[in-house]
Amino acid sequence: MILWVMPDSGAKTKANYQKLVERFQKEYPKAQVQVQVLTRNVLWKKIFMMRNPAAGETIPDLLQIPHYWTALMTRAGVAENLSKLDPGLSLSSTLYPLRPHCYKPGTKDLYSYPWWFDMSALHYRADHLKFVTKNPQEELSTWQGLLDVCERLAGHFKDVEGYYPMQNGDWRGSLSTRSTFMEVWGRGADLFTPDLTDTLIHTAPFKQGVKDYIELALKEYMPILRERGSLGTMLTGKASMLLSRKQGISSFEGRGGARVKTLPVPRTGDQPQAYLSGMNLVINAAGKDKETALEFIKWSARADNQVLYATMMDVFPAFEDSFEQFIFSSSQRLQTYSGILASARTLPNITITGTVIEILNKIFAVSATQIVEGRFTQASLDIELDRAAKEVQYLLSLYEG
Amino acid sequence: MFDKEAFTLFKFSKKLNQSFQNRRELLDCALPALRDLFKLDRVYFFNWQQERALLSLNMMCKKEYCMDMQEDISVLSEPDFLKTLLRDGIADSTDLNYPAVYVLLRWKKPNMILEGDEVRHVMKNSVGVLRLERFRKNRLFTEAEKKMIKRVAEEISHNLTNTEVDQAKNQRLNISTALNDLATIFASSLRLTDGLELILKGVQKYFRFDRVRLYQTNYDGTKIKSILGIDISGQVARQTGEDLPEDERSLLKEIFNSGATYRTINNVVYIPLKVQRNKVGFLTFDNLLSRRRIDYLDFVSLKQFSSQIALAIDNASLFERVQELSNYDELTKLPVRRFFSEKFAEEIYRSKRFDLILSIIVLDIDLFKQINDTYGHQIGDWALKEVSRVIRTSLRQTDFPCRYGGDEMVIMLPRTNDEEAKIIAKRLKERINDIAIPSRYTDGERITLSISQGIASFPQDGANATELFEKADKALYWVKDGRRGTFAVYREVAEEVEP
Repeated sequence: MILWVMPDSGAKTKANYQKLVERFQKEYPKAQVQVQVLTRNVLWKKIFMMRNPAAGETIPDLLQIPHYWTALMTRAGVAENLSKLDPGLSLSSTLYPLRPHCYKPGTKDLYSYPWWFDMSALHYRADHLKFVTKNPQEELSTWQGLLDVCERLAGHFKDVEGYYPMQNGDWRGSLSTRSTFMEVWGRGADLFTPDLTDTLIHTAPFKQGVKDYIELALKEYMPILRERGSLGTMLTGKASMLLSRKQGISSFEGRGGARVKTLPVPRTGDQPQAYLSGMNLVINAAGKDKETALEFIKWSARADNQVLYATMMDVFPAFEDSFEQFIFSSSQRLQTYSGILASARTLPNITITGTVIEILNKIFAVSATQIVEGRFTQASLDIELDRAAKEVQYLLSLYEG
Repeated sequence: MFDKEAFTLFKFSKKLNQSFQNRRELLDCALPALRDLFKLDRVYFFNWQQERALLSLNMMCKKEYCMDMQEDISVLSEPDFLKTLLRDGIADSTDLNYPAVYVLLRWKKPNMILEGDEVRHVMKNSVGVLRLERFRKNRLFTEAEKKMIKRVAEEISHNLTNTEVDQAKNQRLNISTALNDLATIFASSLRLTDGLELILKGVQKYFRFDRVRLYQTNYDGTKIKSILGIDISGQVARQTGEDLPEDERSLLKEIFNSGATYRTINNVVYIPLKVQRNKVGFLTFDNLLSRRRIDYLDFVSLKQFSSQIALAIDNASLFERVQELSNYDELTKLPVRRFFSEKFAEEIYRSKRFDLILSIIVLDIDLFKQINDTYGHQIGDWALKEVSRVIRTSLRQTDFPCRYGGDEMVIMLPRTNDEEAKIIAKRLKERINDIAIPSRYTDGERITLSISQGIASFPQDGANATELFEKADKALYWVKDGRRGTFAVYREVAEEVEP
């Protein structure tokens, strides 16, 4: 079986998967599993080519996808109908917010199965923050509070070479589309209207939410487009805060001295917002080893494997039992994340969601370069978002649901 | 004397001395070799995005393995570093707190450009960067090592050019095989629509576009007749031009005016289909959903192939036109006797098989010879046209009329009994009675047209087309014998007409 996954653990990804596969093979000794790590960009392109592979081109039997790709993969005819493959497969023990993203829209047929999920949060070093605020929890509850704290931190650590108040949580070291969602939601906007028939990315609240996030880079509170290896992290003391969907708790706990605490993402509106991103498994309709792929899906859903994987990758189990077991194992985790989960939102599982993210990624990539070159203007970004909105409206007219 | 440097380089070259399918395969081999040669902790390959002065990470290789990774680094804020790298081909990292060097790779990539209808092959310069890292601070890169790194980078660059050339050759070969296959499929298809469907499916399969669409237009390119489309799942959809939204229709003018349009920004390509001056339609390929850039090589290949498609569509349209001319009478626009006889035989067969009823009306224009002799052939032709117009506009969609010969016409009425046929005959009689010969030809006198009609029904009056026609014809002659301008059903007058 060929399994395509994304590099969720950075450079450790392959090693982590090796451990997981060895565990699987202990129970299924006949199963041959080959893990191939592909970046999200590459995976995105490949899913469109899987239906018509060129001669000699490798196609997977099983692949990891963000939850909101399910509708697209179903429409493209590359996802296998799991309900048909195993009518006994059910989502009854899956965490509720993850369920709608596994079906083909408008049907009760499962086309993807939950694996794990992560949620956005703000991590901060208490030993750093104590120099600039007496009540970080209170100050960091709002976006303006975050900016104020950043300003004070920049002043306090001005003599530390290469210091930034925020560590960039984006794995490319650029501006991240996914990091704007909480600010955008807080401002009352979203990618789409509630009935999913139009977009809101050209509206003033959406633009304001994006502006909130970009301000971190514009004010140089967060580095962008820099050599990742050259930058300090929270753990090395060259940053004090991090907006991330990864929990980071296990790595933070592993380092003595750096007291890292976690809070909900500072709100831009009345209520805190968290972005919940589910990772699902999909069986390739044209795959050759669907049997092993299905076994792996079922094996991955088992509580012990869910907990093992979640711990290893700093993510959350997708099933109720394992989630509870996981979250109760750390009081800090329990205290912090129960609240965040209550305010968590997901992206809708419709055909064009992934495409809209691609469009926004390109816009933000250009903005990042403009910021570095010192020629960024909010007006040019707004024009790009207006243009993108027209394109999204056209896509919605082509691909409903 | 033993040249250690040359020997090392030889060993390195030997590792790369094999045929690679693509750049990824080459790097999979070169990066670990580089890592081992210089005892590196990590080695990275970046694409150089010149327009954004951005290093875009593509691949990382550490001790145990290589994998795809992504990271963007802007080098704009490091002008000294950039200057050194471009001038010397190698530069130390200014930011990292452990030894790391960047080394430039320059290679050539075959490309093609389209000038008019001519394809020109050119070699385009490509640039990439390797970053070599050692994590221990005291393991600096010596000058001798840097010199050697540059030579090894040149070797990799050389191999990159070879690989790109091989890859382009393979790609072109694959495309030409694909197009050849498609042309064969097309040529062996009996029906145009089937052939086009196969072509579009084939284009989507080989070129892996999200959607492929063919718009067929009228000759001056002002109106879209039909659209044949294959969507992302391979489903075929047909639409008529009327169903298109207005903005899509307005695309027409733009496309025909611009010639072949290659739009990478929108991931859409339009290729007009023309045969000499005639506009046949246009093809569109899009990657709107996946946002994948449409390769220029694909565009050029399809542009060349499109002339075959255009020609085939044009030929098929001409064939349809010729067929139409041979099946329809030019004066009356009614089907001709041969065409009618084919349809009549089919309908009789269907009626027998499914136990259905059917009627026919045989009619002619009363005193047609007299009209010709009195007012001239011009008025005779006018009378024929007017009567045919009334027939064409008074029948139901399923009815089938024809000009049988001279002023004689026949109408087939499927699933119609003699009573229902009488209603139709009455309607025709009344409407034709309203047609008056233009008064300037009749000295102001009102002279109207009239027809005589004979009706026969299946299965009562005849078991086959010939019998049925004979019976209807007999009824017609009975009418013409002193009862002009009326109609009769054969069975109702059978006793009088049969000897």
